[in-house]
Amino acid sequence: MLTYDVVVVGAGGAGMMAALSASENKNLKVACLSKIFPTRSHTGAAQGGINAAMGNRDNTDSPEKHFKDTVKGSDFLADQDAVEFFTKRMPEIIQELDYYGVPFSRDENGKVAQRPFGGASSPRTCYSADKTGHVILHSVYEQCLKNNVTFLDEWFLLSLVVEEDECHGLVAMDIKSGEIHAIKAKSVVIASGGFGRIYWNRTTNAFNMTGDGTAACFEAGIPVKDPEFVQFHPTGLASTGILLSEACRGEGGYLLNKDGERFMKKYAPDKMELAPRDLVSRSIEMEIKAGRGFGEGLEAYVLMDLRHLGEEKIMERLPQVRELALDFEGTDLMTEPVPIRPSCHYMMGGIHVINPETLETPVKGIHAAGECACVSLHGANRLGGNSVADVVLFGKYAGIGARKTAEQRTFKGDTLLTNKATEWHDKFHAMRQKEAGKSLVEIRNTMAGTMWDNVGIFRKKDEMVHALETIEQLIEDYKETFIGDAAVRYNMAFVNYVEIGNLLTLAKAVAMGAIAREESRGSHSREDFPERRDDEFLKHTLIYKEGDNYRLDHHPVSITSYTPEERVY
Amino acid sequence: MDKFIFQIQRFDGEKKWLQRYELPYEPGKTVLWALTTIKDDLDPTLNFTSACRHAICGSCGIKVNGHSFLSCKTSLDELVETFKTKTLTFEPMGNFDVVRDLVIDWKPKMEKMKKVNPWLSPANHGSKSNGFIQSKEEADAIAKPTDCILCGACASECNQLDVNDGSYLDPFIFNKAYRFLVDSRDNAPDARLKPVVENGLWKCLHCNECVTQCPKGIPLTDQIAYLRQRSMESGERNNQGARHAYAFHDDVRSKGRLNEMMLPVKTDGVVKTVTKKIPFAYRMIAKGKINPFHFPKKIDGIEGVRKIYSENEKERV
Repeated sequence: MLTYDVVVVGAGGAGMMAALSASENKNLKVACLSKIFPTRSHTGAAQGGINAAMGNRDNTDSPEKHFKDTVKGSDFLADQDAVEFFTKRMPEIIQELDYYGVPFSRDENGKVAQRPFGGASSPRTCYSADKTGHVILHSVYEQCLKNNVTFLDEWFLLSLVVEEDECHGLVAMDIKSGEIHAIKAKSVVIASGGFGRIYWNRTTNAFNMTGDGTAACFEAGIPVKDPEFVQFHPTGLASTGILLSEACRGEGGYLLNKDGERFMKKYAPDKMELAPRDLVSRSIEMEIKAGRGFGEGLEAYVLMDLRHLGEEKIMERLPQVRELALDFEGTDLMTEPVPIRPSCHYMMGGIHVINPETLETPVKGIHAAGECACVSLHGANRLGGNSVADVVLFGKYAGIGARKTAEQRTFKGDTLLTNKATEWHDKFHAMRQKEAGKSLVEIRNTMAGTMWDNVGIFRKKDEMVHALETIEQLIEDYKETFIGDAAVRYNMAFVNYVEIGNLLTLAKAVAMGAIAREESRGSHSREDFPERRDDEFLKHTLIYKEGDNYRLDHHPVSITSYTPEERVY
Repeated sequence: MDKFIFQIQRFDGEKKWLQRYELPYEPGKTVLWALTTIKDDLDPTLNFTSACRHAICGSCGIKVNGHSFLSCKTSLDELVETFKTKTLTFEPMGNFDVVRDLVIDWKPKMEKMKKVNPWLSPANHGSKSNGFIQSKEEADAIAKPTDCILCGACASECNQLDVNDGSYLDPFIFNKAYRFLVDSRDNAPDARLKPVVENGLWKCLHCNECVTQCPKGIPLTDQIAYLRQRSMESGERNNQGARHAYAFHDDVRSKGRLNEMMLPVKTDGVVKTVTKKIPFAYRMIAKGKINPFHFPKKIDGIEGVRKIYSENEKERV
């Protein structure tokens, strides 16, 4: 049986930072497992930047201000102890990344350059042109190679093996060979990313953002926290949903409706386009609903205008954005405005983490960090530039936490691990033999359409109840599906089958959480409950999976410094 | 009805075959659209890799009609325009081990990449707690090389890799060596230069295919030229490539033209020339390709040539 002291699942920013920190104890065997090759991870798609109150551009900035902005941005649902821990340590993490070779853009003093971003009271977003996530991902990967971390590339997590709230390891498939392995571990870090693919193509997320780690934790008894909070990024390309960085607005891009009006003045007169994402997304949809967008139905859009920035600034700070608009929308933003519309971008909710300093979950031996986890740093709405920050910082501390856990625990659970691996082996065999059944693609597309139409940017009860019923039916249909590929080697049809199962599992939690939260807060916007209701809902949602049943519970929000107040920009 | 015909190379671990698929013609679609539509609607056994679908993760490279592209950003209409046909052949990228169908294996490439120590060796003027000070100009030097997304298109196109015994470094590995060599925060130039010289730096064929197909426009052959220059400056002159370059340099400066008779001797040394090159030279003489009695004289205007050299040397100082 494969045996490692620490196994990290996921090789994005959080996973590799965790692996890097854990590998600092040279006596520990550390493996980092990913269903794709590490540098394909979605951290690489982050364009605009990483928030840290360095004060390089504005010396009045401070971790305290970053703390306050994040709490306000979260619509007061973030856990303030976690936010404070995070904002205090971010400046040192930037220096650490610099030391790892991240090619940050620089200011005239040779310090890391910073730019303004939505919801931030100072320009504090550090960046590398518009490829910030990409360069961080590659630099951290390089450091892991330097530290001799064992990479299990193209290995796919199937189950976590947990007994009485203790984790003994996991079962995973080596996709290239098709072999299914039990892996014994003293501690596991789940850093497997978000699950925006519940909306399938109406998302900025990569194809593989299917929440495998979140679903595995959920199945293993760890609740998912705040799943109803789904962030829609305001500036997805109209035709494909592909992301155009928030840096576009940070650098001064305007949003225009059909009448050529900068409509943000109606919704956020002070911050205009630099209001937080939830607000800007809703404003765009309101304009479209009021008939002031271009096109109709799913094809509708508004414009983002960058022409006034000038060629030089666009080429220096937004070169990739320009290429994306050219390649995927056929628009040269130096000479014409680009059609945009909100697109599902980020999951604020995820694996319930109980300690922001160790990233522990309620199950002994399992830690979680990055988008798959809910610390909760982002509460009801995440600020731009806080997610890459989240992955590197909490990834690092999850690695330290997992290292300490591994130092204290012993290997156990051989029989359990073997049994679970056999179960999956049998399932793989059975699915390879099955020749007919319900269409997996149809199940996936119905799920996505239902979620987009009924549990999207604007929500109301009867529509969401309808969505929940549809998802439950799809979960039944899924039992009757087939994969259509009998091969053992690189059977992506089987991998996709498990992924869609994970998405369905999580989509149901999203719908359930959204129905129960009868208020509007952050990204969760109820037409039937337009106000925030602190008296009833200033609390986290927890959803547990017990067999086939889901149970909803609540968890208090940690409020230390800032009492909730009305959120105006 | 107007349609696309795709001939896709399949591989199951043992046997290879070409499989034909048809999709109705739709304008404005990409190669990745074709692949996902085939997998979703026609054949779930077809395998390929893709993730971000906007040219930043590097996973979806394949060969179309013999040339390597990122399938997410390559438009079918453009290919149809280029190749004047709606029948397109898809194959896995070249110079990689194929796992299944269009899926290639990156593991061996990364093992090879470790030869150039592909990580920052931090210079003394920085620290983990304070980072570095780096000027805008210094940061600009690493802007282009850090655009590399490890898609492998350059390696797939590389003609030296095609014929090499396996030691030659892939263009993206040279890029990685270059990236750290020109980073003002790095202090280990030898950790980049030594391994590139030992692993085929001088074997680049200058075919420029890598540059042509790089989806990020990274000037890979310029980087290789720079690595050669730096390697010679650092004293790595006792190798075939450097001696060959110096033989050119010295001949042109002294005579204004090459002495082709002496070029092998200067490049490979007397012993190797006598044992390996003389039979070849006989054949060349027999075919009238070289004249053993030709000793080039100085060209008219050699002073002008030398002036160019000296100006150039001044500039480099």
